[in-house]
Formats: sequence, structure tokens, C-alpha cells
Amino acid sequence: MSRPSDETVVRAPSAAAGAPLVVADDLAKVFDVSPPWLNRVIERKPRALLRAVDGVSFEIARGETLALVGESGCGKSTVARLLVGLYAPSRGRATFEGVDIATLGTASGRPLRAKLQMIFQDPYASLNPRWKVLDIIAEPIRVHRLIAGEGAIRARVEQLLQHVGLGAADVEKYPHQFSGGQRQRLSIARALASQPQFLVCDEPTSALDVSVQAQVLNLMREIQRADRLTYLFISHNLAVVHHVSDRVGVMYLGRIVELAPKRTLFATPRHPYTRMLLDAIPDIQMTGKPRTPVAGEVPNPLDPPTGCSFHPRCPLADARCRAERPALRVLADGARVACHAVEDGRG
Amino acid sequence: MTAPLLEVRHLRVEFPTRRGTLVAIDDVSFDIAPGEVLGVVGESGAGKSITGAAIIGLIEPPGRIAGGEILLEGRRIDDLPPAEMRRVRGRRIGAIFQDPLTSLNPLYTVGRQLVETIQTHLDLSAAQARARAVDLLRSTGIPAAEARIDHYPHQFSGGMRQRVVIALALAAEPRLIVADEPTTALDVSIQAQIIALLKTLCREHGTAVMLVTHDMGVIAETADRVAVMYAGRIAEIGPVADVIHRPKHPYTVGLMGSIPSVGDARERLAQIDGAMPRLNAIPRGCAFNPRCPRAFDACRDRRPDLVAVGDSRAACWLHDPTLAPRGVAA
Repeated sequence: MSRPSDETVVRAPSAAAGAPLVVADDLAKVFDVSPPWLNRVIERKPRALLRAVDGVSFEIARGETLALVGESGCGKSTVARLLVGLYAPSRGRATFEGVDIATLGTASGRPLRAKLQMIFQDPYASLNPRWKVLDIIAEPIRVHRLIAGEGAIRARVEQLLQHVGLGAADVEKYPHQFSGGQRQRLSIARALASQPQFLVCDEPTSALDVSVQAQVLNLMREIQRADRLTYLFISHNLAVVHHVSDRVGVMYLGRIVELAPKRTLFATPRHPYTRMLLDAIPDIQMTGKPRTPVAGEVPNPLDPPTGCSFHPRCPLADARCRAERPALRVLADGARVACHAVEDGRG
Repeated sequence: MTAPLLEVRHLRVEFPTRRGTLVAIDDVSFDIAPGEVLGVVGESGAGKSITGAAIIGLIEPPGRIAGGEILLEGRRIDDLPPAEMRRVRGRRIGAIFQDPLTSLNPLYTVGRQLVETIQTHLDLSAAQARARAVDLLRSTGIPAAEARIDHYPHQFSGGMRQRVVIALALAAEPRLIVADEPTTALDVSIQAQIIALLKTLCREHGTAVMLVTHDMGVIAETADRVAVMYAGRIAEIGPVADVIHRPKHPYTVGLMGSIPSVGDARERLAQIDGAMPRLNAIPRGCAFNPRCPRAFDACRDRRPDLVAVGDSRAACWLHDPTLAPRGVAA
């Protein structure tokens, strides 16, 4: 099988000057979801490999927000975990300031670890219910030995709480005393405690109500400005992505099918899947545009279609799409699209 | 004007607890006309799902309807004995819930569940019921319905399962469907399919829908009218275009401004500071007054009722000409 991602590793310099802060180079993660050995032997069940992420390349400039969107099972959360070193890649590598993120687990990776932090989706599950806010937020400070002395640590935690719009007096409280939005502020304060440069945010507002989501999105933007943070923002919500991102990557079945600056992507979506997603957003503007009904569902990732994995749902698919997997190619305006139809001008 | 299909009058739902009684729904009144889609929006804990549960008679004890009445086609249904209510539910009111997996019995084929529902409510033979079940599945867009009818729920994908649940809800041709977050568990591309399906089927069958959701986009595309709930009460109710583009209640104004939208280039989203009060700490006067940018004396003192403002109705003292300072009503 050819590996088109290899021949098209795109290293176009990003809009912001300087070397990118984070680079993903042909990242892949394969999960072995085979039945147990005994079942394979007795029942002759085959091995099953789930290619959650299959050759993803991008770079993120300092201070930039790259958003990855896609539906459940497209691999966006796996990319997030690969980028903070929670998973080891099966192929390819991710680097932060040129250092391989896979070395994070080693002793020499410790200083780097403080610079990468993650915010999770569920603020109810990601905070230890038995710890006080002081200990939750001080944990990264203590682990990385950033500040010496309990008094100084406490002062820093109080300052962080105020930074995210909570009160200094909240240090003595427990997570259950906070609402969902406040808990997500705690998660952000904890992530900021080690003075990171890069935050990976995996659906940070998906569990929140819209008015609370607005508070958290505004806060994330303020601290990005204040602390010059770089974000990888994972979401399934295109309206949220449109609001927060500088560039957007659209994922489908483990691959990036389109990657473009936000304005380009939303104004001139190229890939048929991107167009379908944009068309499917329920719109409060009620433009009354007739909606093209979207056919089909995401295929089983254990048994992905041949060629372009979107071809069974694609209105433009032809024989080539069914046989040959399209590579991510750079267009004149800098957008990168993996689609034979776009390449042939059939789009 | 036609008589309303559903009338909810001064509904009050209470949950007794050891520390006193919580009022989850406090004096809520609205109508749904035959064939109409009424959207009910609000944030978690606003009482929108409990309103839906009260209508289908599925408030979980110790919660109870403590006041008011619910009328379906002019007949009271909130005081029916459980056995009679069970006949109303399914036959005259269908229900669709958020998670299609919990609405289906995993041990029975979808066909058996459909046939059971059809035969409970309609006088049909087994063969006729099965034929009707296949028709229903086909009408919800399930490919190869004749074969799929003998499959179990786990053999369907999430979107397909929600289609089965819609088929079940429509099985006895109810006049009203209460749909509680029917698309929230689904991906965006599937969500659009399900909304389109629900709309088409209800239009064909003349079924009215009470659509409970937190997603304003879904409401905008689907509903005829929308009710905005806050802390157990209706803050504003009116035609969907008015509520979205000309909101009358400051809470609705804040809510609409906080929704990010593709094609809007704002740096910051409008933000309502604070959070909705807990049920045991609902402030005096208007429940929204501590967060309201336009609150004045009356708001902190007296609770507003819904008053007509243009084509909508809003529960806000700003729209009371005798109280509002300097005629700010707008």
C-alpha cells in the first residue's frame, strides 16, 4: 500500500514568521483491538487493527490557534493525546520546539513537560473530587518544583484563580462546590500553573451551556493574548471553531482531508466533506437556504473503504476515488486538500 | 382560530427533599396548536425536560405535579390514573429521548418492539402490524427495512437507532410528539438528517411537536414558535424569528449574543456573567435580576408575568409601561 502522506509532507511556512512551535509529521496511531488470543485460535477470529490516526501532518506557529474538527471517531482526540505524549505514536513524530514529544516520559523530558498542558472535555471527571482547589492547581507547580515554599505556592494559586475569573478565597473549596463553567475555569487555571506555552484543548466547552461556553471561550482568548499561548483546539462544533481558530484542519477517518486558514476554509470550502459539514450546521441566521440532504454515515473505522475513505458518501466520487487514496496537496491560496475531484477540477 | 391541541395551565412541579421543597417548574403556561412545532430552549436545570416529562406523565417520584393542569384536545391528562395515562402515552402522545440506546430494549429485535407498540394501540393482526412496522421503518429512511426489522438495536448505528425511535414514536399516529434533545447525542451530519426527517414526517402526519433542546440552531431550523425557559419559568415565548432576531427579554438577548455563528466576525461573544441560580436559591423578584444588565428596583422586588410585546410575550418589567424607567421598553 502506498503511503501518500509521505510524498506530500507539506512544510509550507505558516502565516506567522519564525519556526513553528509544534510540528506533527506523518503522525499515526494504531490500536490493536483484536479479540483475545484464545478466541483468535479457537474461533479463528482475525486480528483487528484500528487506525485511529493515519498519517497526519501539520504545524502550529507560536501564538496561533489550530482547530481540528470532525465527527465522532475521526481521530481528533487521539491527535490531541499524541501531542501531549499521552500516547506514543505508531509512526511519525510530533515535535515541540524541535524536541520529540515522545521523549516527554523520560527524565530529560521533564522541563518540556511543563510547557505542554491539556484541558479536557468533562470538568466533572478531570478534577479529583477529594482534593482542595489549592492542591489541584498547585500540583503542577509542586511536580515541576517551580516555586519553593508553601506560602509562595498559595499566593501563586490565588493569583491564577483571579486570572481565570475566580476568587482567591476559592482555594479552600472542593470541586463539587463549583458549577460546570467554574470547574472548567479551574481546569484552565491548573493548566496555566506550570506556565505552559502550548495548550491542547479537547472539546473544552462541549459539556457547557451556551452562555457559559461564551464565558470560557472569551476567557481562553484573553489568556491567549496575555500569556502568548499557542492552542490546539479540538471540537466537533464548527461555529465554535470559526470563533476561536486561526487555521482549521478537517479530519475524516484518521486523516486530514482539508487544512486551511479559517477565512479560506469557511469562505471557499474545497473538500466535499468540508462542504457537507458546513452545509449541515443548523443555522440560527435561518437563511432559508435549501439544505442538501447528507447521505450516509461515517463508515466503520475497523474496515475503512478503499481509496478515498469518503468516497461512499461523496457526490463527486469516480473510479479513481474508489481505488486510489488522494494525497494532501497545496492549492494556490495555501489551502491543502486531499481530493481527486478538486485536483481534477471536477469539484 | 383552531382550538389548541395541548394546553398547559399554571403548571407547577415540585421535588420534596429533606431540606425543603424545590420548585422545578413554577407557573408555566403555554399552548401547542395542531401540527405546530414548539421549541423549548434553556440551559441545564431551566426546567425544559421536566416540562416535557410532566406532559407525558413521566415525572420521576418523589417529583410531582403540585399545581395547574395539562389538557390534550380539551381533556385533562395530568390527573389520569397510571393505567389510563399509559394508553394516552404512545397512542396520542409519542416520546423521543436523547439517547436512542436507552429507549430501545436491547434484548428484542426492533421489529418485535414496533409490532408490540402497534398492537398495543391499534387493532391490527400480527401480520398487519408487521407490515406497518416495515412501512414505518422505510418511511424513516432505513435502507432494506424488510431485512433490518429483524435486527437488534446494537446492530444499528446511532443515527439509524434514532430513526427506529422516531418510527416507534410515530407507530400509533399520535397527535403530539415530545422530543427531548433528539439530536444531541448525534454527529452534526447525522443531526441534520434526523431534523429533516422529523420535520417531514410530522408535516405528512399533521403531528405537533414539542422540541426540547439547548441548541438554538436546531430550533431556528425546525420550530414555528419557541419558549425560552429560565429557572423554572418561561422568560419569553413567541414566533421563532422574533425570539431570535428581536428578543424582548434581557436573558434572551444575552443568550442569542453568546451563540457563536459561522459568518460572524466578533472578537468576543456577548457574555452573561454568573450562572443560573440553583433551585434552592432562586432570588426574590425576577429570577434573572442578579445577572441582568438592565435590572431596576421592581425587578428585585416583584416577579414579572408574561406580557404581550409585539408578537411575543416576555416576563420582564421593562415591558410594563407603568414601571419601566424612562420608557426603555424596546
